[in-house]
Amino acid sequence: MKSVPIKVEHEGKWVPTTMGIGEDRFRIDAPLNTEIFYKSVVDLDEKKNQVVITAGAEGKTVYRVASVEKVLSVLKKFIIMQASAYRLNAYFMSPAVRGGVLIQDARWDKGAIAVMKTGIWFVSQEKQVCIPIGDVAGIELTSREIQEKDLNVVKIDHLSENEVVTSFVLCPMTTLQVLYNFLKEATRDSEVNEEIDPLTGQVAMLVYSGMDSSAIENMLKLSHKDLDAIYDRLLDIGLAEVLYVRKEVQLTPKGVRYISDAVKSPIN
Amino acid sequence: MGRILIVDDTMFMRTLLKNILFSGGHDIVGEAADGAEALARYQELKPDLVTMDVVMPKVNGIEALKAIKAADPAAKVIMCTAVGQEQMVKLAVKSGARGYIVKPFQAPKVLEEVKSVLSA
Repeated sequence: MKSVPIKVEHEGKWVPTTMGIGEDRFRIDAPLNTEIFYKSVVDLDEKKNQVVITAGAEGKTVYRVASVEKVLSVLKKFIIMQASAYRLNAYFMSPAVRGGVLIQDARWDKGAIAVMKTGIWFVSQEKQVCIPIGDVAGIELTSREIQEKDLNVVKIDHLSENEVVTSFVLCPMTTLQVLYNFLKEATRDSEVNEEIDPLTGQVAMLVYSGMDSSAIENMLKLSHKDLDAIYDRLLDIGLAEVLYVRKEVQLTPKGVRYISDAVKSPIN
Repeated sequence: MGRILIVDDTMFMRTLLKNILFSGGHDIVGEAADGAEALARYQELKPDLVTMDVVMPKVNGIEALKAIKAADPAAKVIMCTAVGQEQMVKLAVKSGARGYIVKPFQAPKVLEEVKSVLSA
């Protein structure tokens, strides 16, 4: 097992150590001195130059490892291919659409998909893409024209760096149905079951497109009060969250005095 | 910054696109609600770029695109359609579209696409 330098979180501190990456397990040297079989891993998450590995029968042991991209990439690939997860061979295209703009050079990658506790991993020879389950905004079983044939695909809409991204998965229909059901269940919490009136829907669409309150008021000819009521509805049903509260102010006597003085002797 | 013609059969989408493009410093020179009107407005206004909805009454976006390209082969047209109609991409690209945006869209990406097509 070849050793590579890493940092591991130990008792709340990042400690430099080495890691061995083998065919069926990895080893973290002192101070942890532990060996973990990939098949015991139940979850994998990534943050800038870090991976968070959850292992063990009850998923109670969490390892936070930081290293260079090359090392993490090899480690992630072994984990994704062997971890305890729903896994299938498939073609995937990620991202296919970003912020509503179709990526014209997007192509199908041949690889595997692993659905873990907190994320869906796509892995191919060149790519490792993670979609956190919490960022999934929609799952749909649909068809797409591929090499002049209409083929069934699973379409996943998800948030990535504040942009809405669409990815596609292609595999045989029976597997696709299982994947769709699995993902649908995993993302059940974000399903919209409430009735939404057309005006609230339009406001939601404008927020999605990046319009601010004053633009929405102008576009839909709404008063500040009306828009606030619609925002409250969106907040109540969990479709939106408060980004910031806009203030409307009026001048105090001190402010009025400042303006009066400024008019007498204008400041350039 | 460009002079843009917006073509969409719904006023809501036209207003949304107008706001997004205006916020990016573009000049909205005209609007059209169907493909036939799009061609007439294009010939009248000679815009730098057209955003064209695909599904519209009377003359659809693909037919309007073909007509505009026949009248002006250098025309820059970005197609705009709803989710699930992405299959139209090949047809649109074959017919001369320079870009493709899928509804619902996000303002920064639309502006990026418009900028990229205008500068091409």
